[in-house]
Amino acid sequence: MPIHEISGCIGCEACVKSCPTDVIQMDRERNKAYIAYPEDCQICHLCRLNCPVNAISITPEKSIPVMVSWR
Amino acid sequence: MSKDRETDLSRRRFMGVAAGGLLGVSALSALNLNAAPVQNQPKIDPDSFSTERTETDVLVIGGGMAGLFAAVKAHDAGARVLLVSKGRLGSSGLTPFAKGIFSYDPATADMSIDQFVAKVSESALDTNNPVFTRQLAEHSRARVEELRSWGFFDSALYNNSFMRPIEARNIPLQERVMITHLLKEQGRVVGASGFSMDENRIIHYRAKTVVLCTGSGGFKSSGFPLCDVTHDGTIMAYKIGAKVTGKEWNDGHPASAVNSGSCYDNWHGQVEEKPSITSVDVHHDLGVDMNYTAYVQGPSSEGMGPPGAGGPGADGGRPEGPPPMEQASGGPYVPEAFRRSGPPPMPPREEGLLAGLFGDKRPEGGPPGMQGPMVGGSTAGMAIHKSEGLVPVNETGLSTVPGLYAAGDALGSYMSGGIYTQIGSSLAGSAVQGAIAGEAAAKASQKQALVPLSSARLQAVEEEILAPLKRKRGYSPAWVTQVLQGVMIPNFVLYIKKERMMQAALAYVEELREHHVPMLLADDRHKLRLAHETENMIITAEMKMRASIMRKESRCSHYRLDYPEVDEENWRAWINIWQDENGQMQLEKQPFGSWPV
Repeated sequence: MPIHEISGCIGCEACVKSCPTDVIQMDRERNKAYIAYPEDCQICHLCRLNCPVNAISITPEKSIPVMVSWR
Repeated sequence: MSKDRETDLSRRRFMGVAAGGLLGVSALSALNLNAAPVQNQPKIDPDSFSTERTETDVLVIGGGMAGLFAAVKAHDAGARVLLVSKGRLGSSGLTPFAKGIFSYDPATADMSIDQFVAKVSESALDTNNPVFTRQLAEHSRARVEELRSWGFFDSALYNNSFMRPIEARNIPLQERVMITHLLKEQGRVVGASGFSMDENRIIHYRAKTVVLCTGSGGFKSSGFPLCDVTHDGTIMAYKIGAKVTGKEWNDGHPASAVNSGSCYDNWHGQVEEKPSITSVDVHHDLGVDMNYTAYVQGPSSEGMGPPGAGGPGADGGRPEGPPPMEQASGGPYVPEAFRRSGPPPMPPREEGLLAGLFGDKRPEGGPPGMQGPMVGGSTAGMAIHKSEGLVPVNETGLSTVPGLYAAGDALGSYMSGGIYTQIGSSLAGSAVQGAIAGEAAAKASQKQALVPLSSARLQAVEEEILAPLKRKRGYSPAWVTQVLQGVMIPNFVLYIKKERMMQAALAYVEELREHHVPMLLADDRHKLRLAHETENMIITAEMKMRASIMRKESRCSHYRLDYPEVDEENWRAWINIWQDENGQMQLEKQPFGSWPV
């Protein structure tokens, strides 16, 4: 998993706004952020660094196969 | 109502995962790549999109370093300014990850500006435009000091310091709006159109001048934080007749073989570092030399020497650890003065690190991706900073379309040519060019009246924006992007170039453009954004192949196995690309050191 879990969200939307690739959305009914498009996570950690309550955990593995120039 | 449908779906999706105890979803189920093709069933109603019109003097598109300065300086020159960004100000594109910023200080620099420009030209084999190289040196310190006054150096995150001058001037800012179209009437740019990521709304902007600060882009390759930059500005400008350049150059950053898709880990967590200032230190950091070594010798489980370690005759050894692959003989030409054995020097504090992307702390693991075994292509689709983008007609970043300016990585300024030469110059160059373009756009706006927008044109634009939502059948942007990556990213296509393979790749890319772009699907606003980004990447890929086929020589970061030598007789020229009146992609040479005729 890339962005892996949002636990303890206070609904401030900082992660939604700071994610460059629009991975995180708001659940309006619960006023909590959720991971909507993990496959588009570039694992840059901006969401985690912008979260005021350290609610976001991220692991280094991409959720889809990675195309590289050589391996 | 579409809004309710959307909430219902979000809710259901949320409940599905909440049962598992986490606010997350399974990657596989979300990607849905393995699901059988079904008729597109949009989660939002394309017919529910509202349209809004707004107007300004100077429209600045892009919320990175260039966009910040373009907006501030256009405002200070007396213009009404509107700043619109696909992401958050200072938190999208490459800006948030750049941690070194170049400042030429005449009091401490060990060379004059004349000497600096000459040294960059020597490293760049004259591919640089010395007007922009000089501009960088002359203006960098003033921009850096302004940034300091806004608190830029006090935090690893840039949004707060970027917001300070914007709020102080009451400059209107629209975030999370993707601009998809530039509008042209009477031979000049008159505005732009796009859609909101947060609600079903299309926005048409009427403006006297437009400054594109949209960065460059890649093929959503992994391991480098460029998955949100997809050459949007370049392609929308190309579609209204602007000339673009620099598509044959390649940024050659590798990634670690382990977790190659993790930008954070590849960069050793440097996004958490505060930015710092770099001083004069001209290099010849190729990147493609590693691609060449991997191509000739095969990848090594022990890793390779880092970029710039070799060049003909250099031994490419490392000071410590297991012996890496030897730098292969032959390969990209490195000017004698810039050859070195061993890894690139790790500059001391205050001098920044490779490619201007590092902070004031030397990372334990070295530059991005350069610890142990590496894989190539983490920046695939991106050229050297400042070498690709709109062709400037003068030093202000004015493009070949009247009223349309560009700055930063969206401008093909050739500030350092087809190779990265000065650590920290990318961020500084964006600040410098943004400020100059913003001020020039403001002045040009004073003499320009707002031009009425054609209703028929706006209606056509709205149809084009929403088309992926309205299609019943077609292809997912994720799948088309994966196909594009598979065609373009391999070492033997994008980096170690040869005619036959590039013609083959071009045929694939043409197929994607002709047959798949018109059938891209979206079922929500996120996918709508992906659909438009995918189109931009495909047109970029075509440009990269056509320019690379045309340049029958090797120079800087463009390497051809079938034309391995620098050709001074025929190729002291840049390649410009534009769309003719029949919609065909055309290419031409523009001699080094000249402006477009």
